[in-house]
Amino acid sequence: MKTLTEPSAVAPGKSAKPSTLITPLLALLLVLSAALVTKAQDSRIQLSSLDHLAAKASQTVDVNIDERLVRIAAKVFSEKDADEKKIKDLLTGVKGIYVKSFEFETDGQYSSADVELIRSQLRGPGWSRLVGVNSKKDGQVEVYLLFHGEQVGGLAVLHTDDRELTIVNIVGPVDLDKLADLEGQLGIPDLEIERKPKTKSN
Amino acid sequence: MRTSPYKIFIALIVLLFVAISVPIAVHAKGDDFNSVVKMIEQFYGVKHEGIPFLAKAGMKVATTAARIKGGEARRLAEAGSIRLAVFENQDFDGDFTKFRTSLNEALNTTWIPLIQTLSASTEEQNYIFLREAGDKFNVLVITIGEREATVVQVTLSRKNLALLMKDPEGTGKSITQEATIIDQE
Repeated sequence: MKTLTEPSAVAPGKSAKPSTLITPLLALLLVLSAALVTKAQDSRIQLSSLDHLAAKASQTVDVNIDERLVRIAAKVFSEKDADEKKIKDLLTGVKGIYVKSFEFETDGQYSSADVELIRSQLRGPGWSRLVGVNSKKDGQVEVYLLFHGEQVGGLAVLHTDDRELTIVNIVGPVDLDKLADLEGQLGIPDLEIERKPKTKSN
Repeated sequence: MRTSPYKIFIALIVLLFVAISVPIAVHAKGDDFNSVVKMIEQFYGVKHEGIPFLAKAGMKVATTAARIKGGEARRLAEAGSIRLAVFENQDFDGDFTKFRTSLNEALNTTWIPLIQTLSASTEEQNYIFLREAGDKFNVLVITIGEREATVVQVTLSRKNLALLMKDPEGTGKSITQEATIIDQE
């Protein structure tokens, strides 16, 4: 039986064998980097940084229609009902709809840093801000599209007002017209977006 | 006896997978309705009253022809599918953001969160989760206020799930009302 006192239990110099660790570590790193690259190309905006605002908001709404729910929606919405068929068609290709909305009773409850955490993601590769977009709602509305080449891969709307902060994020092929049709459905707030002639700008 | 670092590395990987998979198995086997009720009881230090309590009080829960105050009667839940736990006249003092995190962690392996609304001013919380159940769907609606709370689980047909998905907040309220409405006739 080998004990710790026996120097021959493991030959000196062979015990650490760092080279044996390199292959699995490299494999692990490769898997992690692949996951990060996939994430970077995804049009899903990370909104969890805003969760702390719920403790101050008079109303927080969190809508989470992920790919599983989109698939379920495609099953349950009827082809025979005109309204449901319209939603079903609009959801074709969509991989997720995420809404986070905060309403506050007083001004200044969220900081520019909170908004910056969202905007910084929308300055990432592929994202472009659409100009010439207005909303009948008070405050500022920014609309961003994620382009994969010529294809739209996602949309994000950021609505900021003194007492309101709303982010709508649609993952998948979508455009403003589609968003307008989905407003008021599936928990998506009515942002009353109006579009002027389309212009693309960074 | 010395163990090689390679074996330690493999053991750590195996432990990691076990640590990830064990909670999933526990959640999948558990009764989530009861788990949520217990979670509310433990987090807020409250006690629920089940349907039998309401029946003893000489009231019965309407499961047919539910009349919803201020609206048209709507029957959403599949017959006999309603599970209800009611908390009345108790204080729901606690950090609702922590409760929300715990709830989501407990349910996220078997249920899909659809909509969650919170209010720091009125301390109201509403959660709607759903999951597939064959060709139908289980829906879990959790409503917590300052002094009362309800946990409702129902089974919905495809048609009624479509109503819920189109208008999650409105239909979620209707489900809770249908489960808790008292037929005084």
